[in-house]
Amino acid sequence: MNRTFRSFAVVTVALVVFGPLGLIIYQSFLSEAFFSPTASPSLGAYQYVLADSGFHSAFGTSLLVSFGMTVIAVPLGSLLAFLLVRTDLPWKKFLEPWLLVPIFLSPVVLAFGYVVAVGPVGFFSLWTKSLLGTIPWRLYSLYGLIVIAGLTHVPHSFLYVSSALRSLDPSVEEAARVAGAGPWRIAATVSLPLVLPSILFSSALIFLLGFELFGLPLVLGDPAGLLVLTTYLYKLTNLLGVPSYHLMAVVALSIVALTFPLVYAQRRMLRTAGRFAVIGGKGQAFRPLPLGAFRWPAVGIVLLWLFVTVLLPLIGVALRSVVSQWGEGINITEVLTLDHFRELKNHPNLIRGIINTLLLGGIGGALSVGFYAIIGLAAHRWQSRWVSFLDYLVMLPRALPGLIVGLAFLWVFLFFKPIAPLRTTLFSLWIAYTVVWLAYGLRLISASLLQVKPELEEAARVIGAGQGKVYGDVTLPLIRFGLIGSWLLMFMMFVREYSTGVYLLGPGTEVIGSLIVSLWGTGALDLISALSVIEVVSVGLILFIALRLGVRLDA
Amino acid sequence: MPDLIAKDIQKQLGTAQVLCGVSFELKPGEVLALLGPSGSGKTTLLRSVAGLERPDKGKIEIRGKVVFDAATGFEVPAEQRGLGLVFQSYAIWPHRSVFENVAYGLRLRHVANAEVHQKVGDVLKRLGLDHLAERYAHQLSGGQQQRVALARAIVYNPPVLLLDEPLSNLDAKLREDARAWLRDLIKQIGNSALYVTHDQTEALAIADRVLLLDKGQIQQEGPPEQIYGEPTSRFSAEFIGSNNCFEGKIVEVSGRRARLAGDGWTLWGTLKVEKNRDTIGTGLVRVESVRLADGAGDHRLKMHLKSALYLGERWEYVLELGDLRLRTWGETSRPAGEYWVSIPPDTLWIF
Repeated sequence: MNRTFRSFAVVTVALVVFGPLGLIIYQSFLSEAFFSPTASPSLGAYQYVLADSGFHSAFGTSLLVSFGMTVIAVPLGSLLAFLLVRTDLPWKKFLEPWLLVPIFLSPVVLAFGYVVAVGPVGFFSLWTKSLLGTIPWRLYSLYGLIVIAGLTHVPHSFLYVSSALRSLDPSVEEAARVAGAGPWRIAATVSLPLVLPSILFSSALIFLLGFELFGLPLVLGDPAGLLVLTTYLYKLTNLLGVPSYHLMAVVALSIVALTFPLVYAQRRMLRTAGRFAVIGGKGQAFRPLPLGAFRWPAVGIVLLWLFVTVLLPLIGVALRSVVSQWGEGINITEVLTLDHFRELKNHPNLIRGIINTLLLGGIGGALSVGFYAIIGLAAHRWQSRWVSFLDYLVMLPRALPGLIVGLAFLWVFLFFKPIAPLRTTLFSLWIAYTVVWLAYGLRLISASLLQVKPELEEAARVIGAGQGKVYGDVTLPLIRFGLIGSWLLMFMMFVREYSTGVYLLGPGTEVIGSLIVSLWGTGALDLISALSVIEVVSVGLILFIALRLGVRLDA
Repeated sequence: MPDLIAKDIQKQLGTAQVLCGVSFELKPGEVLALLGPSGSGKTTLLRSVAGLERPDKGKIEIRGKVVFDAATGFEVPAEQRGLGLVFQSYAIWPHRSVFENVAYGLRLRHVANAEVHQKVGDVLKRLGLDHLAERYAHQLSGGQQQRVALARAIVYNPPVLLLDEPLSNLDAKLREDARAWLRDLIKQIGNSALYVTHDQTEALAIADRVLLLDKGQIQQEGPPEQIYGEPTSRFSAEFIGSNNCFEGKIVEVSGRRARLAGDGWTLWGTLKVEKNRDTIGTGLVRVESVRLADGAGDHRLKMHLKSALYLGERWEYVLELGDLRLRTWGETSRPAGEYWVSIPPDTLWIF
């Protein structure tokens, strides 16, 4: 039974990962879209794309944005991690969950929020202009994009650096204190250098995420004429009138060619990370480092970041959704309205989108957790070379941005005729989402499984339980809270997902995120703002429940 | 027919040969202790019997039925061997009550519900746990958890009970009580038991027979008195008891006896291995066999008492003569000075 179960897991994962990827590679070597009768093997797509100056500049912009946001996010994230984990920063308990909130917000919603809050005619821009007579910033610019991408990715470095700091033996800092070092010196000379592997790891991660950015550059870069690789890919869709799938395949592969080595490097770094840190292991209570006079400036830094990264765009979205129009010389109290929400019901596709989003998050999320649990159990306590193969397999989708996975699955459904009818059902979205979040979901599951001591399972076996019974009676009941937590996290991730559904969008497969992307092209700000509010409120509710249940967000 | 037969068990983990061909038998009702330092392979041996590890070579039979045979590749999985195992960490399932932990094995055997209640009730009562049936692991003390683990392992009456350092997580005081209690219990239910421990006192106290393991090989095998009183190898002699160990030159050999000499001293002892005159030998004598004597005599040395340490129930004296340094015990405090020390040749083993 075990053998069949395990081979099933490996084969399934290999199929859903290699299938779409293989199709992209195949398509990239054709002269036209694969369904065209005149398509023939050709290197033409490569020649076209690699010679295109638009591609060159998108490549350069992607590189700049990735680099810039890493330079902003990593130092800030490390600093916040030190302040929250190691010092007596005021309001720590209250601030901590907020630091991870940007992870659960859709970038396209955030980007839209920035447009309506601090864009050329945004609320805050116009209020600032009425005070100062001028707007001292320019949102639609390379540096605007880099700063916002950097600030919204602070949680990713906070996550890794804080968890490394938590396992750091406090006595190494106490030794520095006794020797006479203040908190900033301790951070700079002891704590942060000791968690350097985690800092480097998060740098590689953020640099990688830079190439996968889609919502932010789509909304913020477009008006300034800035294209990154993903938005270049998106624009290619209708470049030649006919679907230029062969060109898109080449661009998709060029992104994967950049991200795959980064994912591989991260994996290497993770393996060596353990050797560096001084792990206390006892988790004994320690006295936080006193910040002294810096306490309030430090809390000011955290609050300022929180305001700019979370509150500013959300306030923008919320305000925009309740005003009928906005511009210079308009008094906000005179234009308040709830019409945008009422207007939604005149658009059956939008209503379907809202329902689909919640179905996909709630039911689809649960099914995905089930799928991840099956894969996790298959690899659990399995001593075989196949486990490391499986490990490599599940990390592969991390190098694939949602946009590309969605595109690849669209092709899969077009290519394999027997499953073609599934393309217009939520199943097509579900499987694409499941693959995009494969690595994340499996990490949640294996974190739970790691906490099950082997003796608990061995005890059941010796008493007479077969492998299936051991899973059903011991392993799964023991990780049930982990599974519920994973489900809530997947629920939020699926609700906020937007790029994966872009290419799969059609009647029956509308979701809020991809609807916003397509509405952005038509400039329907009223509807976008209403949809965004609904999405943020949904995520907020789940987040609230998750926090009440004690689910750890920093998984 | 023995309850358990293990033949030539070999196991390699990575590059280390953990078990190098261990064979033993377990007679019905017998308690056999697997004693050895950490890394001696005793736990691997126990887990191989349980079916949780697969040996590279060898054969295991339980009550005449082959459960593992490397030669044919035959292996009965752990869940079908019907054994009982008490883990060092107890491994009480935290999501089940005490009752459900103990009942699990019966439920897997499709025992009727009424009988489950009766059998679990009996076992819990016998182990003094009947008032805790509805509790969960985190509501139990270490001693109670240990008894739940035991109840869970014996409730379906396994042919052989396996115990992996069952007392090592208890504090020292509790451990001494549990030792006697555990032996009585095993004897009462009449099971044969394989008991892994690194604690020599525990092994000697609990077992009918001791298997002394080192580096994956059996060093000595026998009843506790024989293991302690007649060690056959230097490892056995050193591993058990508190010992004085010193080197000297063998200056005279006469039958099983030999005379060991060093700087300013000479002593007769018993040869435990073949040794020739004029070779270096190692003398080994239990601390309690070295006695202070009231005057000169055969097999006595005049030594300098350097210090006396108070250990609570006794004193420990450190004695010196040239390069010879001995420890011994006594009831009273003694000032530093010269004392006569008696070391009977039967108690001084030479390797």
